Amino acid sequence: MVLGLSALLLSACSTRESVDFNADVRPILNDKCVSCHGGVRRRADLSLLFREDALRPAESGKPAIVPGNPDASELIRRVIDHDPEDRMPKEDDPLTEEEIGHLRQWIRDGAEWAPHWAYVAPTMPSVPRPAADGRSVIDSFVRARLEESGLTPSPEAECGVLVRRVTLDLIGLPPQPESVRAVCESESTYEEYVDELLASPRFGERWAAMWLDLARYADTQGYEKDGPRSIWRYRDYVIQAFNDDLPFDQFTIEQLAGDLLPDATVEQRLATAFHRNTMTNTEGGTDDEEHRVAAVIDRVNTTFEVWQGMSASCAQCHGHPFDPLRHEEYFQLFAFFNNTEDWDQDGDGPVEREFALQDRAEAERILAALDGVASRMDSLAETPELLAAHQTWETQLDDPAVVGAVRNTWQNELLRIVKIDESDRSDAQQAYSRKMFVETRPEFEAFRQERRELGQARAGLEQTTTPVLQALPDGRRRRTHVFERGNFLLPAAEVEPDTPAFLPPIQRDDTSRALNRLDLAEWLVSDENPLTARVMVNRFWEQLFGLGLVETLEDFGTEGAAPVHPELLDWLAISFREELNWSIKSLLKTVVLSSTYRQSSRVTPELLDADPRNTLLARGPRFRLSAEQIRDQALSVSGLLSETMFGPSVMPPQPDGIWQNPYSNMRWETAEGDERHRRALYTYWRRTAPYPSMITFDSPSREFCVSRRVRTNTPLQALVTLNDPVYVEAAEALAGRMQEAAATTREQIAAGYELAMGYPPVPAKLDAFVSLFEDVGGGGHADALVVVANAIMNTDEFLSKE
Amino acid sequence: MTGLEKEAHLEALRFSTRRHFLKSCGAGFGAMALGALSSLEATARAGTSALAGASTTGPLPHFAPSAKRVIFLHMAGAPSQLELFDYKPELQRLHLQRCPESLLEGKRFAFIKGVPKMLGPQAAFSQHGESGAWVSDRMPFLAGEVDKITFLKAMHTDEFNHAPAQLLMHTGSPRFGRPSMGSWATYGLGSENESLPGFVVLLSGGVQPDAGASVYGSGFLPTVYQGVQCRSAGDPVLYLSNPGGMSSDVRKRSIEAINEVNRQQYEYVGDPEVLTRIAQYEMAYRMQASVPELMEIDSEPDYIHEMYGTEPGVTSFANNCLLARRLVERGVRFVQLFHWGWDSHGAGASEALNIGFKERCEETDRATAALLRDLDQRGLLDETLVVWGGEFGRTPMLENRTGDDNPYVGRDHHSDCFTMWIAGGGIKRGYTHGETDEIGYTRVGGSVHVHDLQATILHALGFDHERLTYSFQGRDFRLTDVSGHVVKEILA
Repeated sequence: MVLGLSALLLSACSTRESVDFNADVRPILNDKCVSCHGGVRRRADLSLLFREDALRPAESGKPAIVPGNPDASELIRRVIDHDPEDRMPKEDDPLTEEEIGHLRQWIRDGAEWAPHWAYVAPTMPSVPRPAADGRSVIDSFVRARLEESGLTPSPEAECGVLVRRVTLDLIGLPPQPESVRAVCESESTYEEYVDELLASPRFGERWAAMWLDLARYADTQGYEKDGPRSIWRYRDYVIQAFNDDLPFDQFTIEQLAGDLLPDATVEQRLATAFHRNTMTNTEGGTDDEEHRVAAVIDRVNTTFEVWQGMSASCAQCHGHPFDPLRHEEYFQLFAFFNNTEDWDQDGDGPVEREFALQDRAEAERILAALDGVASRMDSLAETPELLAAHQTWETQLDDPAVVGAVRNTWQNELLRIVKIDESDRSDAQQAYSRKMFVETRPEFEAFRQERRELGQARAGLEQTTTPVLQALPDGRRRRTHVFERGNFLLPAAEVEPDTPAFLPPIQRDDTSRALNRLDLAEWLVSDENPLTARVMVNRFWEQLFGLGLVETLEDFGTEGAAPVHPELLDWLAISFREELNWSIKSLLKTVVLSSTYRQSSRVTPELLDADPRNTLLARGPRFRLSAEQIRDQALSVSGLLSETMFGPSVMPPQPDGIWQNPYSNMRWETAEGDERHRRALYTYWRRTAPYPSMITFDSPSREFCVSRRVRTNTPLQALVTLNDPVYVEAAEALAGRMQEAAATTREQIAAGYELAMGYPPVPAKLDAFVSLFEDVGGGGHADALVVVANAIMNTDEFLSKE
Repeated sequence: MTGLEKEAHLEALRFSTRRHFLKSCGAGFGAMALGALSSLEATARAGTSALAGASTTGPLPHFAPSAKRVIFLHMAGAPSQLELFDYKPELQRLHLQRCPESLLEGKRFAFIKGVPKMLGPQAAFSQHGESGAWVSDRMPFLAGEVDKITFLKAMHTDEFNHAPAQLLMHTGSPRFGRPSMGSWATYGLGSENESLPGFVVLLSGGVQPDAGASVYGSGFLPTVYQGVQCRSAGDPVLYLSNPGGMSSDVRKRSIEAINEVNRQQYEYVGDPEVLTRIAQYEMAYRMQASVPELMEIDSEPDYIHEMYGTEPGVTSFANNCLLARRLVERGVRFVQLFHWGWDSHGAGASEALNIGFKERCEETDRATAALLRDLDQRGLLDETLVVWGGEFGRTPMLENRTGDDNPYVGRDHHSDCFTMWIAGGGIKRGYTHGETDEIGYTRVGGSVHVHDLQATILHALGFDHERLTYSFQGRDFRLTDVSGHVVKEILA
């Protein structure tokens, strides 16, 4: 009897049905194994990231894993070994019986590597039965999950609170009291109000602020001197794209490859400034090629973080430690971005020039003259004398003085070409060598001088210049090599542009031509790509709820957070791509109309205990406003906010001494009049010394792509909203509006609160402010109302979205 | 030392208490990535600071620390070790001879092109103190303090441009986005003062560091850990002063009203974040008193001003040294000074070894020495680590960009060897570690990489540098990246 029971138990343990690789096995491998046997280190020549690597014999000659046979698998032998020298994981606690059991069962089942969930294309989930009072499919998913956890959804938020929430969310500004009254007194419906917000020009300004963190948009070049960069036209492109509800697939393609579109428009070329937001290092004595490479690396990393929720950067020095991205594959991605004209030069060229109307004719004339110079240079180069000089010059290139005259980023390719016999060179190679010759030889100096003068004349015209991507012509395309340990001085094997094997391949008919950025961009938004739509809906969700469905917006990989509502994520992703045809406005509307979004954010101690961070969504979102919203709200409720859109960035007042860059004579020229009160996203953004109150409220420096701002709560923030002259000016203006609004102090204060919040105060709060008013001098003191206005604008309720 | 051990133990208890709260609250460590933890945590200790670390759970110190605080004197631009501490008579002999080409092979320089000439020491050297350390006549005051110091003569780095090298020195990576050393320290240890930031930055020389605010930024750590710049001109901390005409009493009353309304709000919505906000407003008010008091160096006695060479009311390195002492006295964890202007290429007077460099030495020598002496006299040096140095060194070769008649003498950037020094907080007194070859061009022993220095500083603060980590983008990051060894030889 006893024996029988234990035999039964034993068999129950050892013949468990099957294990789930992602749930039961991958966590063991990631936690205990891959730091030594993974993408970075391959101790004993073993890597457990890919099946084919794990099944090969390791250094010992024995394979770690023999599918179907755990007892013959070295991996099992080593995890159960009693000798501490041999037992794995080394110098760590042994695996538990359960973990070993999972590994055994998995090997017995054939040791298959299941792909990570995020790398498998989403399929339309079946929708749970509609929830009783749920309005949308979103609610069906969320409430089914809440039911499992024994939680109940919260009631709808109070009308005024909800109107304020959705207004801040959709246009980044607080509602007018009239709007609140209109919705709450049923003059218009909530949905009509939402449509009104989506149509507002303020919409694009609010959502551009989110996108500009991803685009690492700033008005300067970064690094030591951090000189100015005129790239605000890109910011305006983003605002307009959101306002026009440019479908996200189109938005993607234009930013990554707008220059490669047939008959690209000016706007499409300007969109490529997305990737010209990389830094330019103008510090003396820097190697331009080193920093050009750094910019290309940034483009790879940013593209993969923004669209694929992946930190590809690990793989620039070695294989990715956890995710199945190989070192070589990283450089295949690098190759997509390695063929543009820009090269870390101070002037940030090439640029898109847009001439003022009155100067366009002159600009055309100069352009024609430049073409003339170019063709005369070509003719001169064709003369027998200079053809011979070109050949001689090629033989002199081992002289550092001769080769040194060639721009350093072109030297390697030139030296490679001149080693090829002239008859074996392609036309492009020959043209390449000639161009370098022409650009450095004294015979052409007169032409170059003429060209410089024309360039200066062109620079003197009224125009906007914006750095853009410009593909290199075929003849000057760069080869891409794997860089050993990520070091650009150690080029290894040559690679062609391609996407990593763990993601679906790029579909194409013509396999003879090399893939380019346009192919990559189209692939990102193709139906086959498993990540883009999920990553994007997750970003928008996080903006509204404060927490993504996948909490790690920037990492959908195996070490990222698992989604709490996976089916909702997939439903949103597929709907966004298909039914909504990549319309961001439609996506946002779908979410803000749901009951889940409209819930009250009030929380009971029990609910706080059960779900402190609101991952299950049994209540509405409540969190502090963003840096931009804090400023814009203060200016808005005080009536100071300028509605001017677009244009060069502005310099509202900031304290003296913020800009102290070495070797820089840039000055903060404080704006006058209305320009002092523009929305935050128009504030001049210097990377090394950003606008202080923005940084204090957790905005990034924009030196690199940031998916998620960490929200903090600090006394320095209190000092900003209490004392920063911008906020003091806003309080004074609000006090003025309060005085005009009513006759008695109590009514004035109530009006001020309503101007600030959109809805009237409860009596206890009003009492507190009235008593403050009296204590600081009351009616006899002109500033007492300002003190009250300042206090209203410092309440947690005002600084938060509730 | 037992006192320190006891304190470390108490600190550990305090942290574990906080951790207990967090667990019972149900928030896992995933929460930390969102920064939500910091505020939840502050709620647990409502009424205290969430500024620069006091509010957040860091990892516990791993062992008893030998230092409680750090003052890092960064000489931005990279001072020449060959004119200060690394005495090379052989280089004098080779003065103005052509550099052997073998020295140039495979090397990358910022400005030197072709074959340069060698440049002998541009200062006179002598030995000082019981330890017999070599110091040039450029730093006569510091020469008197060498017996308090460990010199690291074989420092090296990976970068040879200022901005990336400064980032590497302070964040462990030449690229942007990593937390700085002061952020790691406050993340790990919190603050000892509830009315002052835990990580304070002081700039002099009229210019910010080349890599900007990122060298004291918090990277992917919550921004509560970023360095707070205290300024000598204008508000010492931005927006510290009340608007014109508002008295402290009125401010106090208005914060009371704000907090009363916030308490009502908390009772209504139940969000603990509101309690944190209340605590922050209280601390803001306390800072309005404590920071100006801190900055009032004219309250110091005359002999102190004499010793440091301070002059109240100006922005100077000397004033910042005195402020650094006042900050550590008040329990501030990490004080970061930057003094700009050491980039002695010789392309102009301000960056010539014979002019600008000499002036930088005169601006800093007296106060640096005074800081060491003052800390020592107050018994603070034993628990405060003082670190001095630039982001890289300079070449033994003359850099001459402008031609033979250039009246200015300079050297180019050199990443292979340079001198830093470190004192106090459990470091040997009167000691020299590491050595360079006879011309000061390569290291011949006792190499210390920037990551090794960082590992050693963290070690002094009680941390195993490999275990002081923060999970970000699926990976545990640390200050020392994937390398770094504690320089055991210099520990007392």
